[in-house]
Amino acid sequence: MSGLTAARLPAYAFFAASGLVAGLALGRVEPVALAAPFVLALVAAVAGREPHVTVRPSLDRERALEGDEATATIELFSEGGVDRLEVLIPLPQELSADGGTARALVLHADEERTIELTLRCERWGAFTLGPLLVRARDVLGLRSWEGMAGQAQPLRVYPREETLHSLVPALETQVFAGNQVSRVRGEGIEFADLREWQPGDRVRRVNWRATALRGALWVNEQYPERNTDVVLFLDTFAEVRVQGRSTNDRAVRAAATLAHGYLQRKDRVGLVGFGGVLSWLVPQSGTRQLYAIVDTLLASDIVQSYALRGVDVLPPRTLPPKALVLAITPLLDERTATALIDLRARGYDLIVIEVSPLELLAPEPSSPLELAHRLWRLSREALRWRYEQVGVPVVTWREDLPLAAPLEEVNAFRHLARPA
Amino acid sequence: MLAIALTRAGSTAPWLIPSAALGTLLLVAALSRGGWGLGAALWLGGATYVAFVVAVENRIDAAAPLVAVLLLLCGELTAWSLDERWRIRADPSLSWRRGAAVASLAFAGLALAALVIALGAAPTSHGLILTVAGAVAAVGAAGTGIWVARS
Repeated sequence: MSGLTAARLPAYAFFAASGLVAGLALGRVEPVALAAPFVLALVAAVAGREPHVTVRPSLDRERALEGDEATATIELFSEGGVDRLEVLIPLPQELSADGGTARALVLHADEERTIELTLRCERWGAFTLGPLLVRARDVLGLRSWEGMAGQAQPLRVYPREETLHSLVPALETQVFAGNQVSRVRGEGIEFADLREWQPGDRVRRVNWRATALRGALWVNEQYPERNTDVVLFLDTFAEVRVQGRSTNDRAVRAAATLAHGYLQRKDRVGLVGFGGVLSWLVPQSGTRQLYAIVDTLLASDIVQSYALRGVDVLPPRTLPPKALVLAITPLLDERTATALIDLRARGYDLIVIEVSPLELLAPEPSSPLELAHRLWRLSREALRWRYEQVGVPVVTWREDLPLAAPLEEVNAFRHLARPA
Repeated sequence: MLAIALTRAGSTAPWLIPSAALGTLLLVAALSRGGWGLGAALWLGGATYVAFVVAVENRIDAAAPLVAVLLLLCGELTAWSLDERWRIRADPSLSWRRGAAVASLAFAGLALAALVIALGAAPTSHGLILTVAGAVAAVGAAGTGIWVARS
């Protein structure tokens, strides 16, 4: 630890020296008497010795959800004791602590004390707590020793998920077993149709009631249950952030919710972080993939970039054929708009979930910015029209609505539009 | 403390008032601006008192230890006040311990200053040895201050 002196100590020394010199020069004892208590304070300060403190921070958990609380425990020990020990945990903005993050206490010789801090996880992210800032002071605060202590503790705060009752089914299924009824007939459970018996059909598939009515062998046809490939396409080129509310935060929350929902259905889910920093995960299924996706989402951040970037830069395996691509975007960057239209042109089943930034940027009525805001909204409408022209449903997720609302809108659109 | 000195100063009081007022202003500034000017405030207070003693008092002023301790308390209490402005959740015992330490330092300083006054009042010869001892003490205090400031 590095030693520091109080700002008043040099002033005390100067005062004492002035008093002693004045006493000599004037031949009076009063200036010396004035200096005496300050000399005593100097002696008290010089007599202070650097204390040795052991600090062991720990967290009761490494993972938490948004809104959860985690408890940080700091164990302190000193052989020689400390008159005043101050401990500060530097916290990121996304975490807060009840009663502040700084504590001051007395640590007697050979005494072990424990400080507990309740941390509230305000926003998702991958954080590191520590090392701690520690300051030991003498009882008068004339000298202090500062330093950093303790091992850094990781804490991953996962985004809280939205409640979803149904997901958007992909138009095309894959060859692996899953929970989604395929559009192609085959071996399955769901009844599809009746047809006449053909050589090779199994006897168990014969529909005896239809056979009796028609006088010839008829068999049942079924839809098989298959899985689908879903790619979550997260636009990280730009965001709108106002007073802690951000489109990127909601986009990450939506992506985590959708990943969880599709993986529960035994689908394979992949992730593409499309922005200043490109990241991707090849579609896989299972719990491990869920953690991989969420961990990647925690690291996703808006990085300013002027690079012209298209979907060509993505590895082919990240976008398997017949995959459902769910693009979660605030529709702020032209590069994303172009890339999504490119994806649609390549035949992907594309859905655009627009994380609306309009509520965050609403100007005051009769403000000079109102005209600019209206023009901006018109340009967004034009972009949505471009998507609709190529058959891509665009749904708007407003801040005051649950995620289920735009997904239901997509389902209704698909039901009515009967996309190819 | 300065007011008492000024009331005792008589006709020389107008000469002492500016430095006393400036010292008081600097003390207020130190309280409101994070300790800035505290040293100057103490020095001006002490200098005003010494000027009063030299100008008015022919005898040794027995109030000097009290003035010294009050000046020290000005510095310590200002520093304590500034320390308490940090948003730190502290053990209640810390305040008691610091209060006791400040009081102890004040009493010890009072005793030391009174001892100095008593020794000064004693009829001893003002020889070279005492002068050299005083000079060594002054240099020692200044050196200590420099060492503390650089450490």
